[in-house]
Amino acid sequence: MGARRLSSCWIVTVAALAWQAALSAAPPVDFNQDIRPLLSKYCFQCHGFDGQARQADLRLDTAAGMAAQAATGQRVVEPGEPQASALLLRVTSKDVDVRMPPAEVSDRLSTAEVDLLTRWIQQGAGWAEHWAFVPPRRVSLPQVQRPVWRRNGIDAFVLAALDESQLLPSHEAGRATLLRRVMLDLTGLPPSLAEGEEFAQESSPDAYERMVDRVLASPHYGERMSRIWLDLARYADSSGYANDRLRSMWPYRDWVTEAFNADMPFDQFTVEQLAGDLLPGATQSQIVASGFHRNTPHQYEGGSDPEQYRVERVKNRLDTTGTVWLGLTVGCAQCHTHKFDPISQTEYYQLYAFFNSANETKHSVASDEQQAAIDRLEAEIGKLKAEQKLADSDQGKLKTRLAELSKSLDTLRKSLPTTLVFREPAKKRITRVHRRGDFLVPGEQVAPMTLSRLHTFTAPATGTGTRVDLARWIMAADNPLTSRVTSNRIWQHLFGQGLVETENDFGHRGAPPTHPELLDWMALELSETGFSLKRLHRLILTSATYRQSSRTRADLSAADPFNRKFARQSRHRVEGEVIRDMALAVSGRLSRKMGGRSVFPPIPPNVIGTSSAGHKWPTSQGGDRFRRGLYTAVYRANVYPMLSTFDGPDRDNACTKRTRSNTPLQSLSLANDPAMGELFHGLAERLLSECAGSDGDRVIHAFRLCLGRRPNDAEVARLRHFCDHQRAHFAAHRESAQALSAKQRSAGVPAEEFAVWFSVARLLLNLDEFVTRE
Amino acid sequence: MNSQESVPAGPLLDATRRHFFGRCGIGVGAMALSDLSLREARAGSALKDKHPLSVRPSHYRGKAKAVIFLHMAGGPTQLETFSYKPKLGELDGAPPPPSMLAGKRFAFLKGKEKLLGPRRQFAQYGEGGTWLSDLLPHHRRIVDDLCVLNGMRTDVFNHGPAKIFLHTGSPQMGRPSDGAWVTYGIGSEADDLPGFVVLQSGPRGPRNGAQLWSSGFLPTTYQGVAFRKGEAPILNLQPPAGIEGSSQREFVAAVRDLNGLRFAQVGDPEIRTRIAAYEMAYRMQSSAPELMELSGETRETLKAYAVEPGKPSFGANCLLARRLVERGVRFVQLYHTNWDHHGGGEDINTDLPVRCRQIDQPIAALIEDLKQRGLLDQTVVVWGGEFGRTPMGEERKTVGRDHHIEAYSMWMAGGGIRGGMTYGISDELGMGVDDEVVHVHDLQATLLHCLGLDHTKLTVRFQGREFRLTDVHGRVVEEILS
Repeated sequence: MGARRLSSCWIVTVAALAWQAALSAAPPVDFNQDIRPLLSKYCFQCHGFDGQARQADLRLDTAAGMAAQAATGQRVVEPGEPQASALLLRVTSKDVDVRMPPAEVSDRLSTAEVDLLTRWIQQGAGWAEHWAFVPPRRVSLPQVQRPVWRRNGIDAFVLAALDESQLLPSHEAGRATLLRRVMLDLTGLPPSLAEGEEFAQESSPDAYERMVDRVLASPHYGERMSRIWLDLARYADSSGYANDRLRSMWPYRDWVTEAFNADMPFDQFTVEQLAGDLLPGATQSQIVASGFHRNTPHQYEGGSDPEQYRVERVKNRLDTTGTVWLGLTVGCAQCHTHKFDPISQTEYYQLYAFFNSANETKHSVASDEQQAAIDRLEAEIGKLKAEQKLADSDQGKLKTRLAELSKSLDTLRKSLPTTLVFREPAKKRITRVHRRGDFLVPGEQVAPMTLSRLHTFTAPATGTGTRVDLARWIMAADNPLTSRVTSNRIWQHLFGQGLVETENDFGHRGAPPTHPELLDWMALELSETGFSLKRLHRLILTSATYRQSSRTRADLSAADPFNRKFARQSRHRVEGEVIRDMALAVSGRLSRKMGGRSVFPPIPPNVIGTSSAGHKWPTSQGGDRFRRGLYTAVYRANVYPMLSTFDGPDRDNACTKRTRSNTPLQSLSLANDPAMGELFHGLAERLLSECAGSDGDRVIHAFRLCLGRRPNDAEVARLRHFCDHQRAHFAAHRESAQALSAKQRSAGVPAEEFAVWFSVARLLLNLDEFVTRE
Repeated sequence: MNSQESVPAGPLLDATRRHFFGRCGIGVGAMALSDLSLREARAGSALKDKHPLSVRPSHYRGKAKAVIFLHMAGGPTQLETFSYKPKLGELDGAPPPPSMLAGKRFAFLKGKEKLLGPRRQFAQYGEGGTWLSDLLPHHRRIVDDLCVLNGMRTDVFNHGPAKIFLHTGSPQMGRPSDGAWVTYGIGSEADDLPGFVVLQSGPRGPRNGAQLWSSGFLPTTYQGVAFRKGEAPILNLQPPAGIEGSSQREFVAAVRDLNGLRFAQVGDPEIRTRIAAYEMAYRMQSSAPELMELSGETRETLKAYAVEPGKPSFGANCLLARRLVERGVRFVQLYHTNWDHHGGGEDINTDLPVRCRQIDQPIAALIEDLKQRGLLDQTVVVWGGEFGRTPMGEERKTVGRDHHIEAYSMWMAGGGIRGGMTYGISDELGMGVDDEVVHVHDLQATLLHCLGLDHTKLTVRFQGREFRLTDVHGRVVEEILS
């Protein structure tokens, strides 16, 4: 695939800033941190892993290649002697015909980059394996200047890096902020006033830890984690492409939620989703789990070649597995050997072979009660059939009864919801390399096998490797990647960005970790203690690093503008689903019902029907109008507008990180969407019924409900001014007030007064702070 | 940009001063800074350069500033519109030569179908002598502004993937679309309207819907905004019924002031972006209705576009497209559906003429109108479908053709494109291209070039590699540039 080196301007700027920072600090040059990214950026395309693309028989991705003799007679790199190293001479040459990289391939190295290279050679030109391919190492916790600040191991690593940059961490955030932060991160719902009071008044020294434990135990934890996982699983309720049919996949979605709530160990979580159907005596739950890779878009358009799109789906599965578990861009090796990472095209199709045979089927899902009823009916039918064999039985009566029971069983079975799953046939498909990635041009035959550069694959005693073997290989103790990738994603969720900025690329072109030892420490904490995700969450949440204030600091804006050193918490907008869930919660309308079929909350007119798929939107009634965003039906070709406006993912490929844009259409959506209007209405009713006091009392109450803290005097003054203004306005525009309060149920409240509180509700739910986790 | 009714200043400044001096205990220097930021935030326009859609320089000077992409969804037949194949007429009803079919894949053809001669009369028009069928009489007037591409080629032969391919450069979903790339690259000159707008007409929406104007892995800022039918084209533009006038202005002012107070406390620059977003949203609320209000257009204009006020149509969308680019909108995708003339349901003899009548006059009006206003030089207009149709007919109840991905027709016109020329020579039966092929990636590269964008440099890093509209392909078709 594409190997262009031309970055857009801002990427270059970021890189330049990073280099400046590196130079000013002047630490010893680290090969993995400083040099490999350079080589990867400028050299590997022609002097890397891909033997076919390799020029001049020179490779710079191995120690041997670096030590080799260049055509000019010098060694490529002469440790300690930059001026005798062909590498440096070539990149600094004034002769454009000699200078590397060639002008038509890439820009030349910057002065800062040349300086790094020079210092690296001066310092002995140490070479090291790519950091992410070396298993994590546990190091002893570093000494820090302010041990008193430290709460657990995480803080030691963060503080040590801050000490080095002569920066101080931020103070701990206030309790109100902490509670709202923990609740939004772990459940995606705001704290209630009661929860706020409880935490504010708790005086025990471990009040915070106990609060975290309460929140971790909430069933809403599973819902929040599901949303993140379902982004990776590219979950949607329709098939995508032109026909974009609705499909039943929610049992898989519920499986994910239940697994998170039960704190299913991540290794089991992995094996069941990649190969649940293949486990010996697979349970219904394990078969449902195998739906992970049935979330691919599915082409049903008339006149399409079924094999072409089956191949697309298999490739999507492969790419997704690479992204989600390995943090590798496996997909780049589809058409040719990977330019930057050690993945050959043959290896790509060896991985492909693991997924190539699986049949795509549906599975009926019975609840415990339904299963019991089925078991009962089957037992009775069996009994009657046995009776039929007896000579003295009443054959006629038995036959009638059997027919009745069979019909009941059949009806029951047909009423069961289905979900898409895998079923592995006995006869395997033959897998061949697709030349240039084209399935119409088959090449050599290959068998299932993992990537040779990574840890060893344990082949089964008989036959070829299966998806179970692949899943076990992924979760093997000596896999250097998966625990790091997973820990990094959790860190990213809790700090707004990962320790590895390129959370989906741990390969040579990815960013090195800002805190490599911390990443390793967390990865080992995860893998060596039974892969409990709740435990890792608790570990991070109880660190002093997590508990810091998110306020900007003048010193940090200059020294660490992107907060890569975590001297403060992140302040960021939450996802569209969470915004809506919060609005539902504070309006008092939220239905806390969990699981089940996806629902169709109110949608603006003329939205559905912009594509030819004949989408239907049977708007849900009652509580189902107000379910959490996790349960909103998603058509791939027509995503619920509010969720798409707030950067909902495309759901065709694994989404490892949502963008957080900040646009006028989002403002329009929050201020004017009729579905939001229902919630302003709900909040207004709530304010009027819960708080009988003055404007001042009521705006404080409203503010606390929505933002989880008390407003300051200036904020109260502004809100009261707003109330006064709106009251005067609606007194002069009674018909407007009538329109706003048409359906209100608060007894004895004049329309003008209701309209004022509707406006206040609308105002608060449109504040930056409302949509932000601080 | 329209003159705007300004949002009244609330009691913020005073409250803020009291707040700073009375409670916060932060230094006067910090206060002054925050105060300045607040005033700047209030000035609205001062923040223009901070908005993600603000105008950014292109790679080099391009002739065009805007794009109108007329997508005839379903794949219009080139053999009854722009690509004249007399030899095919002579062989009407004969089996196609086997050599012609070797290695080819089709959506519906079973292999026994016969050649189908052109079903319309053709003649040459304009100084360039461009061939046109009798289905497009109004095009005769504009034919010297068009560069007809008769050697178009695409990669995929099903509607869904082919449409995604035309607009995103990949047959798989999930990549940014052309309009998203362009607004990502050079922003938009409209600061009170979305930079990328999607208009739809015809019996149904285009297949794939939002996937065709997706921002893919770019921020949703760059996603196309699909105008809805009816008077309120932009979703959620209207405040809740009962909120209007001073009530709404005070809402916007209070949002700004309270956000300003939070900014003073926490200093997050994202708050300022949000303040700017609310102010732009507010401006949109007044500019969008003005945009949709056609009463300012002369009767002649309405007639030229065949617009009946209040009635949605392709013509109304063409007029709207002109109004959008006039207001600085960067990219307009305009879909008109039901060009899938297989025969049976939609056929070439009766349905195709209806479809052509719907577009012929409005398109001519659009080109002439743009030209008259001096906008054609700055606007690239693209016409075509996701693929064309086969020289063989289908065996159905009425006359039709299957999807054809080699040798079909599109045209480009306007800023940076040479008019009055035909580019692309297909073989005498219209099966393949003999010379002057233009692949979809070439079209995309050329389109970007007209806007001053180098398709190899407009890239974004995602999942470990640089992505671009043209994938790793694409050639700027220099021969058709003016």
